[in-house]
Amino acid sequence: MAAYALLRSMSSSFSSVLPLLSRSGSLSPAPLAVKTLFRRTLASSSRFSAALKFTDKHEWVRVEDDGIGTVGISNFAQEALGDVVYCGLPEVGTQLAQQDEFGALESVKAASELYSPLTGEVVEVNSLLADKPGLVNKSCYKDGWLMKMTIAKPAELDSLMDEAAYERYIRSIED
Amino acid sequence: MLQLRRTLALLKGETGNQLARTGSSLPFLDSANNSSGLVLQSQSTDVYQNLALEDWIDAHVDLQQRGILLLWRNQPAVVIGRHQNPWSECNLPAMRKMGIALARRRSGGGTVFHDHGNLNLTFFASKKAYDRKRNLKVVTEALRRLRPNLDVRATDRFDILLNGHYKISGTASRLSRKSSYHHCTLLHSADRSALSTVLRPSCPGILSNATPSVPSPVANLIDHAPSLAWEELLEALVQQYNTEFGLSSVFTLVDPSSECVFPGVGNISTELRSWDWTFGRTPKFRVETLLELRDEHLPARCSAQLQMEVKGGQVESCRLDVPAGWLPLWLSRQLSDVLVGERFCPHRAAAAVTAMLRAEKGQFHSRLNNLCEAVLAMMG
Repeated sequence: MAAYALLRSMSSSFSSVLPLLSRSGSLSPAPLAVKTLFRRTLASSSRFSAALKFTDKHEWVRVEDDGIGTVGISNFAQEALGDVVYCGLPEVGTQLAQQDEFGALESVKAASELYSPLTGEVVEVNSLLADKPGLVNKSCYKDGWLMKMTIAKPAELDSLMDEAAYERYIRSIED
Repeated sequence: MLQLRRTLALLKGETGNQLARTGSSLPFLDSANNSSGLVLQSQSTDVYQNLALEDWIDAHVDLQQRGILLLWRNQPAVVIGRHQNPWSECNLPAMRKMGIALARRRSGGGTVFHDHGNLNLTFFASKKAYDRKRNLKVVTEALRRLRPNLDVRATDRFDILLNGHYKISGTASRLSRKSSYHHCTLLHSADRSALSTVLRPSCPGILSNATPSVPSPVANLIDHAPSLAWEELLEALVQQYNTEFGLSSVFTLVDPSSECVFPGVGNISTELRSWDWTFGRTPKFRVETLLELRDEHLPARCSAQLQMEVKGGQVESCRLDVPAGWLPLWLSRQLSDVLVGERFCPHRAAAAVTAMLRAEKGQFHSRLNNLCEAVLAMMG
């Protein structure tokens, strides 16, 4: 109901509504320690760059050594989806704001929208998925990655969940 | 105005008390929200407006506590799934001749034909409450109550079959941020001849990873229950929806083109109408086919091999292998070059080749013309 009241005071533009609707309290902040580590990591070692950050929509992002973010969906998400039969992914060069719809995965269950974990530009799309959409199910953290993007606002990573927090989050929604 | 205020209020889930203040009297609204449902019927038969309404409701209405049932039908239209290829799913030239629209929906699944004899039902719910089997039970139970001797059953693919053989309903769905919608067709009295004419490929030789349709023989409900009236069907469905979900629903007509009730819905329908969405969203595909070539001076026919790659609905590459004696290599290469970058569309391609045809005034004009026509015909 509150969401609808929020709507009444906004412009009638469709695209402006969506990000506002879901931003309210749905992303949990990372602890301070991780925040400090992250800043060192980009410049120096790759020890923590393989760490995954998660959204509440079950997407993950991994910051690679070159500062590019690889994006995919979590094991929880791929299990919930069932066998993926088609991956609808964006064009390279697409500009995305955090939480923008960037594509959809089609499975027997439904067409499920995908939401960008970060703000940035799409630099690569996983071409293997065209012939093997099932990679998303078989190897969701590795070969089944969906796209790679630049990270225009690194601070957004702080608002995503680390693995432990994401595990807790899944347990809470399963109840 | 009363209708407008009432619809707005219903979408917000306002209770009877608040409405009494605004002057509307709706005694059937239940103040205990959990048992009140909402059934909407669209007043529009424009497929784009109705699809836009679905997306609007999904994005703007809180579906966590209660679901919505939307009933709608369209003027003749072919509706393809989110990731399908219209050139392989439907007969575009026939549709143009018959004035039948093409729409790509946002949900997955296969291609269907809509007309006034086809009822669409959309079940909106939270992601947690998403249950296609239960939704289809609403349909099969309603039909069984109306005509107990009708053999209607939902399959594992969420089709509904009549007599275990004829498809009377197909299903598709979309899951978004917090909510879901599951919609299905229901063939009451559709034009089956039009259906079979349009649900055929336009273009031969398409190689693609787009999601394919699973063709099925279909039947209309009235073929097996001739006395079943449209209104009777709708009433039974609404009643069964209430029974299945333990609701006492408020029923209201809605105008999906109303910016007052659905602010921003016009932008959604504009996007759905656009070439970029309908055709441009087609997954990348390849065409490999033979074009029949004719020349009134030659008794023998020959053929040219065409290979084309189409991405985003536009020709990305084109290769024409024409027998050397029929047309010089440079001319067929020129034609290929002209087509690259154009939309995979006979009108656009025709405009592109016109200049080339005009320039070729020599002996090869009629053959070139023939080749162009064959290419355009292939594009649907």
